[in-house]
Amino acid sequence: MIRQRKDRVSAFVLAAPLLLFLSVLVVWPIYLGIKTALSRDLLSEFEITPAGLDNFRTVIAAPDFWSALRFTIIFAVVVTIVEGLLGFGLALIFDRKFPGKRTLFSMVLIPIMIAPSLMAVMYRLILNENIGVIPGVLQKFGWEFSIFDQRYVFFTLVTLDAIQYTSFAFLLVYAALQNIPQEIYESAAIDGARYRQVIWRITLPILKPALAIIAMLRLIDSFRTFDTIYILTGGGPGISTQTIGIYIYKTAFITGDFGLASAASVTLVLLLAPLMPKIIKQFRLDIK
Amino acid sequence: MKRNLWASGLAALFAFFFMLPLIGAVYTSFRTDNAIASGPFVWEFDSKFTHYKNAMGAAGYDFASFFQNSILISIGTVILTTLISLPAAYSIVRLGFGGAWLLRIALSLRILPAVFFIIPFYKLFTNLSIVDSVRGLILANTFVNITLALLIFSSTIKDLPYEIEEAAHVDGAGVFRTLTSIVFPLMGPGLAAVGVLTFIFSWSDYLFAVVLSSSNATPVTVGAANFVTSYGVRWGDISAAVTLSVLPPLIFATLAQKYLVKGLSSGAIKG
Repeated sequence: MIRQRKDRVSAFVLAAPLLLFLSVLVVWPIYLGIKTALSRDLLSEFEITPAGLDNFRTVIAAPDFWSALRFTIIFAVVVTIVEGLLGFGLALIFDRKFPGKRTLFSMVLIPIMIAPSLMAVMYRLILNENIGVIPGVLQKFGWEFSIFDQRYVFFTLVTLDAIQYTSFAFLLVYAALQNIPQEIYESAAIDGARYRQVIWRITLPILKPALAIIAMLRLIDSFRTFDTIYILTGGGPGISTQTIGIYIYKTAFITGDFGLASAASVTLVLLLAPLMPKIIKQFRLDIK
Repeated sequence: MKRNLWASGLAALFAFFFMLPLIGAVYTSFRTDNAIASGPFVWEFDSKFTHYKNAMGAAGYDFASFFQNSILISIGTVILTTLISLPAAYSIVRLGFGGAWLLRIALSLRILPAVFFIIPFYKLFTNLSIVDSVRGLILANTFVNITLALLIFSSTIKDLPYEIEEAAHVDGAGVFRTLTSIVFPLMGPGLAAVGVLTFIFSWSDYLFAVVLSSSNATPVTVGAANFVTSYGVRWGDISAAVTLSVLPPLIFATLAQKYLVKGLSSGAIKG
């Protein structure tokens, strides 16, 4: 019994740094965020005064907020589908034996190791109208290309996102594929199943739970997209590629309205809140 | 083997597109200014490596200090994240502290949009006078990486054979002794996974860095992005700076690739 009591004390001592960290960098900031959302808090004014729900009324009436939210959702859904399909296809390729597999595996993982913002700077370089390689190639085919062109900007951003993040989807699908016991494939082969049948009837059903988690992760992450689009287009042309992250950042640090930006953050969290328990459940966190 | 050459070809095609931006940057960084100005396909090797010399300080940019900040921030974050989450994971998994709810809270952090925290962090860090400091950015990045670290450490500890710890217990070793001399030495793969992923993700942070640094603590991500807006025509220098910025996590992660793959798939999560 004494031993157990001592263990409980040590359990607390070992977890104490985490609890302290979470209180200072999570609980307190959440309080600060809500408080700011309920205040008139402008960079241009020294005094911060209570404002009730004024900021929330302004956010809900702001077309920019909703268009940013809409763009974020559409972008997140599209890139999740594109990257999921490409990642799945790539994982099927790597599930076989082929010459140069090890080297190509390392190369395919490279985007994971590159910061999105640095990737964005490199995109600007290769897409630059005067010196970029891509417009250079397209010009040979008689195409004029500009990343700011309203017609192509969405397509361009999706492509660039896919270059950065397909590797993540690939890696997770590939890891899940390795967990499928080889015998299942062997018995399918004995039964004379075709490759396409094996994929549809065996691989996909087994992978379904893993694919659901992977898709959810990509969806959550693409919902936070900020760096790449901010550096590439700044949310433009106009506000057509403004994500919710860019909207909040600009409202706070460029317009200088902390209250309004915080109200937008809180509203965003409230809109996402109903989904959270479902997502957490999907992870099947067991400690046993 | 021969009939799988199409698989090599397809994989190579993916690899080419994934590496195209990097190839473009390296290519431009080794060309002379003259060649760059003449068009994308004019090749003239810059045998003096002017752009690299400029990036490293010859042209008066602060790039070397951005680089140093990134290294300090990333290493500091790896250390702090490990110190906080390893004992906590042990406490949760082996001593039953807090049960699964602590992990669940950590996981909800993963789902909350990081942008929610930029304003509170800005205010909090201003109050604590740690805005624009390496210490501040270490704290912010630890916040970003703590969930992944907790998940990886918990699953590594779960996979350790409990009998060894029990034996230590019977021999009279206390909890701390067991953790430091029995568990810790067996945590190699988990530590490597957390180390490499935390390093990559803190090196990659842009959002918190752009809000919480202005000059003293600016890392390469913000530095490189500002570089484009302030020196938009000096593409040679920019490419050299970006190439150098990409290298540390790239080298580290390629060497530790096994752990990167394991960590990402076991945590099934990205910071």
